[in-house]
Amino acid sequence: MIKQRRFRHDYYGYFFILPFIVAFLVFGLYPVYNTFALSFTNTTIMKGGGAFIGLQNFKRLFADNVFMTAIINTWRLWLLNFIPQIGIAMLLAVWFTNARLRLRGVGIWRGLFYLPNLLMPAAIAALFFSLFSYYGPMNQLMVRAGFISEARHWLQDPFIARTLVVFIQWWMWFGSTLIILMAGMTSIPVSLYEAAMVDGATSAQMLWRITLPLLRPILIYIFVTSMVGGMQMFDIPFLLTDGRGSPNRSILTNNILMYMKFSSADGHIGASSAVGVMVFLMTCVCAFLIFRLLRDRDRA
Amino acid sequence: MRNRLSLVVIFMLLLATLLSACATPAAAPAAPAAEGEAAAEAPAADGKTVLDVWSFTNEINTMAVAYEGLHPEVDVKYTMISMTNGEYQTKLKAALGTADAPDVIALEAAFVKSYVESDILADLGGLLPEAEAAQTYAFVTDVGSHDGVTKAFAYQATPGALFYRRSLAKEYFGTDDPAEMQALLADMDKYIAAAEVVKEKSGGNTFMVASSGDFQNPYFANRAQPWVVDGALVVDPMVEQWIATAKLFRDNGYEAQAQQWQEGWFAGMNDSLVDAEGNAKQVFSYFLPTWGLPYVLAPNAKAADGSSDTSGDWGVITGPLPYQWGGTWLGIVDGTDKVDLATDFIRFATLDQDNLKNWATGVYTNDFLKAIDPEVAPDQQQAAGDFVSSKVVVEEIIPLFDDSELSAFLSGQNSYGGFAEAAPSVNAKLMQGSDDAIQRALNDPVNQYLNGELSIEDMWASWKDSVRNEFPDLIVE
Repeated sequence: MIKQRRFRHDYYGYFFILPFIVAFLVFGLYPVYNTFALSFTNTTIMKGGGAFIGLQNFKRLFADNVFMTAIINTWRLWLLNFIPQIGIAMLLAVWFTNARLRLRGVGIWRGLFYLPNLLMPAAIAALFFSLFSYYGPMNQLMVRAGFISEARHWLQDPFIARTLVVFIQWWMWFGSTLIILMAGMTSIPVSLYEAAMVDGATSAQMLWRITLPLLRPILIYIFVTSMVGGMQMFDIPFLLTDGRGSPNRSILTNNILMYMKFSSADGHIGASSAVGVMVFLMTCVCAFLIFRLLRDRDRA
Repeated sequence: MRNRLSLVVIFMLLLATLLSACATPAAAPAAPAAEGEAAAEAPAADGKTVLDVWSFTNEINTMAVAYEGLHPEVDVKYTMISMTNGEYQTKLKAALGTADAPDVIALEAAFVKSYVESDILADLGGLLPEAEAAQTYAFVTDVGSHDGVTKAFAYQATPGALFYRRSLAKEYFGTDDPAEMQALLADMDKYIAAAEVVKEKSGGNTFMVASSGDFQNPYFANRAQPWVVDGALVVDPMVEQWIATAKLFRDNGYEAQAQQWQEGWFAGMNDSLVDAEGNAKQVFSYFLPTWGLPYVLAPNAKAADGSSDTSGDWGVITGPLPYQWGGTWLGIVDGTDKVDLATDFIRFATLDQDNLKNWATGVYTNDFLKAIDPEVAPDQQQAAGDFVSSKVVVEEIIPLFDDSELSAFLSGQNSYGGFAEAAPSVNAKLMQGSDDAIQRALNDPVNQYLNGELSIEDMWASWKDSVRNEFPDLIVE
């Protein structure tokens, strides 16, 4: 009995999570704290430690419309790729898991749709950059087929650049969403569907009354992770044009703006931290809202 | 007791896992080096001192191997990081101030000033007497100096020139003689007039220039004032003139609309440029500096499929505006514990007259380097023709280029002699650390203006917003 009290087994768990806690404090929490601290200073890489300047960095963000352009762009690029992404992934997931359809080769299709996600964003951006360059294949194709009369600078057109980013993001990520949705759907007990079929429910009724309600936790997960990822969209828009969100700032995202401030001649890490802080706060608020709006009201 | 023991063991195991996990990133860089060069990262084993050098091309690696040849006790660990989208600077800025910071860094003309103006580089003033002996061109030392302290030296001097196609010149102007061509293209007004002639006589199939970005450098080099004066952004009239000329070239179809460093720009060099309809197009002239000849024009004069070759069809002249473009400087990261070795390496690379002579005259062949380090890459070598920073060396080796591969490329012209005449007049007083970011910010608004998407007022406003964003302390307007 005495032994039992001296070495309580329920403490063991803390030792097992210790590595994560320490790693999180050092590599997770401290950088966040440091970013907040930096955002109130005018620190630069080239000139060293800066002075405390209060909210000056934040005020400057709103002094012109570049920051707001970046915020709006990021939301626009994310929403425009997320809505078709979840829509098409949902449709395919319903078909692939439908007990009545019994589609063949589901595994192969799922693998094919997931493939773009395995490609490097740098390679994809380089590919599209070449395809749409002035002397590239897209101009040759369009001119020779008679769709346009003369070659165009595709990637200097804001609409085209945005469309390409949205398409690439959708194309890269809908396979991944599909797999998560399918995992969620197959975990729903078959007995529920069987019972519904016995009761004479249609496919649509089963989708709305059984699948979607039980899929809610998965949907929240997809929503939040995709939004967090979308708010940090960087690689494709950065690599597709000149790394400055060109043309005409149409694909300038939050993270590109942050990176530009960091990589400017002096390396203004104070000012770029201010962008980071704003994006962090915005993402937190939105994630919280998604949780509130989508949570299970019966249980809440 | 047993329980306590197991508790302690578990704790130690977890701690060990954690510590080894933390230690991995620090140890990782050693692994590739050990694979690449057997001697690297093993100073204790063979007694070699390791000098860490970072650059953005493989060029300086040739110097590094040559240096190892003279100093067997030194192992130069060479790291190359590409400059695409500012990758080199990003890695460098992230490493500065940490234990991973290199000893010697290469700095490109576009950003060398921002490093020279900062406290990052160590004072290299001790090498000035040697620079005087080598008669290093004044602007080379000027660029590497700030407030009277010299922090960087360069092995190159990079005056600019205009390269033109001889066969096309004969066709459109009746001559391919450099002196006559220089008279025909002596200033920008004449260059514009010639562009019209080229367009007319070729029926629009030959462009005067591949892109209007090509003559951005010449215009910017002839500004009266730098971008930043007394902490405020200044737009010199030459900048406005560049944009006006660019618009004229776009609207009149004098330019091929090929962006610099992209497919079409290179295709024009070897006559393989084909427009979207499949018609062959030609480019009459390229604005390129000293290094542009051996590094850009000559290697690209032959089409990849061998179908066309413009070697021997080029002439070179000073062109409408004197300018300089690019160049690589070397500096020491302040705080390194190998200051003496690093200083000697920079002295060797940038001021040592024997080394510069070997560098410029093609002594450093792949076989030469292989004899020193058998593991050197098969394409590592330095072809003859790079224009060096020492006037003493330049004047000594000019005659060697009378009958060289490069003079054959230029149909007998000795470009080295031409550059030697232009080099003393190059002026670097306009160069500032903020140039690169300010100029890069201008490119997209100007493209939008040239395409007719933005009015000229909106173009300036958009550019000023960008500049304000990257330079919070700068007064804009």
